[in-house]
Amino acid sequence: MNKIMYLEFERCIGCRSCQAACRECGGHDAKERNYVEYVDFMESRQTFPMLCMQCKDPACARVCPANAIQITPEGVVLSAMEEKCIGCRNCTFGCPFGIPKFDFEENKMYKCDMCYDRTQHGISPMCASVCPSDAIRFIDFDEMQALRRRRTQMNLIEGKKPSEQDKWQYVPEFFGVYSD
Amino acid sequence: MTQFLAKEGVKNLHREGEKLITTHCCYCGMQCGMHIRLNEKTGKVVGVEPRYDWPVTLGKMCPKGVTAYQTVDHDERITTPLIKKNGQFVRASWNEALDLIEKNFKELQAKHGKDALSVYGGVSMTNEKCYLVGKYARVALGTRFVDYNGRFCMSSAAGGFMKTLGTDRGSTLPWTELEHTDCFFISGWNAAECHPTSIQWLWKARDKGAKMIVVDPRETQIARLADVHLDIKSGSDSALANCMLHILVRDGYVDEEYVNERCNNFEEMKEMVKLFTPEYTSKITGVTVEKLEKAARIYGQSPRSVVMFCRGIEQQSKGVDNVCIYTSMALLRGQIGKFASGVATVTGQGNGQGGREHGQKADALPGYRKIADPEHVKYVAGVWGIKPEEMPKAGVSAYEMFDEIQQGNIRAMHVMCSNPAVSAPNTEYVWDSFRKLDFLVVSDFFMSETAEFADVILPATTWAEDEGTTTNLEGRVIRIRKVKDPIGESKTDWQIMKAIAERMGRGNFFPYENVPQIYEEFRIATKGGKADYYGITYDRIDKEDGVFWPCPSEDHPGTPTMFKEKFDTPNGKANLAVVDWQAPAEIPTANYPHTLTTGRVVFHYLSGTQTRRVKFLMEQCPLPYAELHPELASQYNLANGDKVKLTTPRSSMVVDVRLTKAIRNDHVFVPYHWGKELSINQLTNPALDPTSRMPEFKVCAVKIEKV
Repeated sequence: MNKIMYLEFERCIGCRSCQAACRECGGHDAKERNYVEYVDFMESRQTFPMLCMQCKDPACARVCPANAIQITPEGVVLSAMEEKCIGCRNCTFGCPFGIPKFDFEENKMYKCDMCYDRTQHGISPMCASVCPSDAIRFIDFDEMQALRRRRTQMNLIEGKKPSEQDKWQYVPEFFGVYSD
Repeated sequence: MTQFLAKEGVKNLHREGEKLITTHCCYCGMQCGMHIRLNEKTGKVVGVEPRYDWPVTLGKMCPKGVTAYQTVDHDERITTPLIKKNGQFVRASWNEALDLIEKNFKELQAKHGKDALSVYGGVSMTNEKCYLVGKYARVALGTRFVDYNGRFCMSSAAGGFMKTLGTDRGSTLPWTELEHTDCFFISGWNAAECHPTSIQWLWKARDKGAKMIVVDPRETQIARLADVHLDIKSGSDSALANCMLHILVRDGYVDEEYVNERCNNFEEMKEMVKLFTPEYTSKITGVTVEKLEKAARIYGQSPRSVVMFCRGIEQQSKGVDNVCIYTSMALLRGQIGKFASGVATVTGQGNGQGGREHGQKADALPGYRKIADPEHVKYVAGVWGIKPEEMPKAGVSAYEMFDEIQQGNIRAMHVMCSNPAVSAPNTEYVWDSFRKLDFLVVSDFFMSETAEFADVILPATTWAEDEGTTTNLEGRVIRIRKVKDPIGESKTDWQIMKAIAERMGRGNFFPYENVPQIYEEFRIATKGGKADYYGITYDRIDKEDGVFWPCPSEDHPGTPTMFKEKFDTPNGKANLAVVDWQAPAEIPTANYPHTLTTGRVVFHYLSGTQTRRVKFLMEQCPLPYAELHPELASQYNLANGDKVKLTTPRSSMVVDVRLTKAIRNDHVFVPYHWGKELSINQLTNPALDPTSRMPEFKVCAVKIEKV
């Protein structure tokens, strides 16, 4: 699986399809493991999806005293193994993105596992599959590199970069390549 | 153990013990492709899989689409006929229910004439059922009173397109071409919330450098990224569109050759739009001169552009005028009939396109034929096997049917696949009308607000329990497949209509045993009409990923791009709009100083009968709210989460306040998906467009009070 999850926040339209679809994944028991937030609803309708970053050296796994959080050979960080998890919730405090959640009824931790049942066979995770605006994409590593390179090139061609004062003026012209 | 379904290199997850059934979503006009997961052992629908190979949506789905399957085996489904006894619904057998319907229908017709009965249809049904609604009303019941909820949704677009282009097909181009468009001029379309899966095409085009102009009183998700956001005052669209025409003419952006060859009224139009200088228009619309100029310049300079609009401009008492002028923008630039260019309105209901073409309208017959035309009546009567003089005359539009009830002309109604107790304007009047009826039959699969008024409720099926065709917003005819057998004793709408027809002694006109038989008759009924489906067969739909109408013969390829050579008017030329601006029917006054506008949220569909029963969707948006600009809120000392009482000349309601700068500071926005005391349509204005008879949902005057 040489594919990565690629997020482009400006594309997000706040529809929360990704959340609805996450609940549909096998074994998710109708609980979503990703989130969509408003940046500041008072100011704008800009929203952004929040997914597990599948960190190379995940804080959640590092702080787990029971070694319950496994990482697959492809680099997918899984939910805590039920037989090992002791319910200390260190992982929920340790993650800087607030991704792992603790289910008090079932007494277990759950988090995005990048739809491992799908992605291990090269099929998009549910969130990326349904995302109507392509804010969440499941793409080849090379494609991601190309997208990032294109953004840099556009900035080079224009010979300028946005500042705090005029950043919104750049969004339409540089749409799709401005952020990653 | 999982396996994969591979079609043309696209893999889908396929779980053991489950069947994947290929179909489309039941909600909006995008009709997203999807696979429904059916547990083979229990026969229950258990989930959904994206359909990556459907060319229009490529596996994308909105939250409603993802959760649509949850309504199929829902606990609250109505599974047997219900009869109201002493104010309570009591379970009954089909025979009891049909006996009662037969008795009442016959008695009322004997006493008050054939037109005492009426039928109120809907366009979330398949083409086959929509076609049958018109035949059922006119042949089985013999009444002229038939209309449908599309009157609140699509009729202004239809009226406008008929006037300008001669035929009403919502989109003149296939949406798969949109990524090659250079400029989108979008008016009154909250694309991100109403048709989320269309966004991928807009964003793809944006990646290639396409420009986007958005006209909306709210800074919607797409307006926030537009090159120009024209923050218009609701109800002033015709002024703004005329101003665009003015600038296109003034600055030489008109495609003279195209206009001379293919359009009427150019000189008259030029004369009319002279008045609409940016300065004059700015005063009416509240949009700055600079923005108007910039928008017209971008649009005028784009080689391939699409003008898109939706309910924002159509649900007004001048909706048809608005559609005509916006369509004229595309004509002036010579865009209609070209690759990746044109004009499009976006259907809100699943079969908003097909459902309006096949005789559910008060004045229409299948294939977009007219009751007013004796030749048309003769043809359709021939297909139906009745005499032309038996064909009832044209009836009245949906909202006007309630006037007929109030006057005692309509005594009974059969409501199918619709919930006017929530979706009609001025709903208190509608509720009162339902109470006045002698007899009300409602076919539905959930207890809707309308069904609560019924004397008899007939259990209908969801989209997953029947088959047929629908027409998506592009004009592409597609197939809905049966996923499972109907739950309980529920029957599909066509079986219900057939059963009542039999009771009314007209069963020989409804000899259908299955849906393909209806479809065969339907194809013949549309043959030769403007919306000609004759060449479209189920096999072709499967093989060709849907077929675009008009398609007059089986060897015809279908028509993805409309009006390539000529328009559907008598002289083959399009009619440019020569229309002045007129104010909305109700403008703010000292007593009602602000403007109320309504719309959708992404989590709910129409009157919410289905989506309010889906847990995920209700968690995201359980109640309506009033969106206010902080400046407006400060006048009334309102903070986020406060309760506010909104009052219009018709009624009032209390909702929570949600503050955002992403709305004009003189507007209030409230979504409309809830019933009873939460229904904003208690407040909306039933002023009707003179041509389309569509109510003015989108603008009325409102008073704000802190509670």
